[in-house]
Amino acid sequence: MSRSKKLVLAAVLAAAALGIYVLESQIPSPLPVPGIKLGLANIITLTAMALLGRKLSCATLALRLLLGSMFTGGFSALLYSAAGGAAAFAVMAGLIGLFPEKRLWVISALAAIAHNAAQLVCAVLVTGTTGLFWYAPALLISAILTGVFTGIAATFLLRALKKN
Amino acid sequence: MKTNRQTKIWILLFILLLCLGALGLVFARSFSLPAVTARISVDGECVKVIDLRAVTLPYEFEISTAHGRNLVRVEHGRIAVIESDCPEQICVRQGYVQESGVPIVCLPHRLVIELEGDE
Repeated sequence: MSRSKKLVLAAVLAAAALGIYVLESQIPSPLPVPGIKLGLANIITLTAMALLGRKLSCATLALRLLLGSMFTGGFSALLYSAAGGAAAFAVMAGLIGLFPEKRLWVISALAAIAHNAAQLVCAVLVTGTTGLFWYAPALLISAILTGVFTGIAATFLLRALKKN
Repeated sequence: MKTNRQTKIWILLFILLLCLGALGLVFARSFSLPAVTARISVDGECVKVIDLRAVTLPYEFEISTAHGRNLVRVEHGRIAVIESDCPEQICVRQGYVQESGVPIVCLPHRLVIELEGDE
């Protein structure tokens, strides 16, 4: 893929991720546990990582987080998103070369766990309450389930994109 | 769907983690004691401590900060956030808490209600 084609793809993916993120934020959380969500926009992050490499997918993610917090009206939430996003990205970037496309769900699940863990630590630091760690088991289960789902979805998306 | 040995190992690993998580949930429940004291903090600073055993008549009070507004209801032995202007209403949906352990939290408002049990 040429450089300019990569840039265009990065921009398109950022827009797609942003759209998914804003839509998903309209869905109310099913359980009264802070911090659980589907994380569907991460399908894009994984896809971007696989197609464009670390630097461009990082830019795509950063754009989505920044604009996403602007559009959903929570600049204070950006702190948590950034912490979670950075942790998830680090895991993805570290593991992306080690797993074949059909096993992306492993990377996705691990990244989701890292994401929730980082957000939990962030919340504990901000509120100064270690009692929040009681939410860890629920966050772990949620991360694995959503991570596997988004990882499988990313595999399908990659296959569809590569056909063209 | 062909699953080779590596995939099976990973599947097993995550099932194990899920079980650990489930155990953690059960563990949390068994470790909780009836709530004695409620400690309310905003932005990490304690703003109110309530002895839940000393409560005779239920009462409500509001916690209003720059982050937002929460209405707290205190009854004998239990406490809840009954109203809030936060977007997700997670704090309200948690309902009444009467055991120590999992706190009531309103993250957008930096509000945490921790419950302590009898030692």
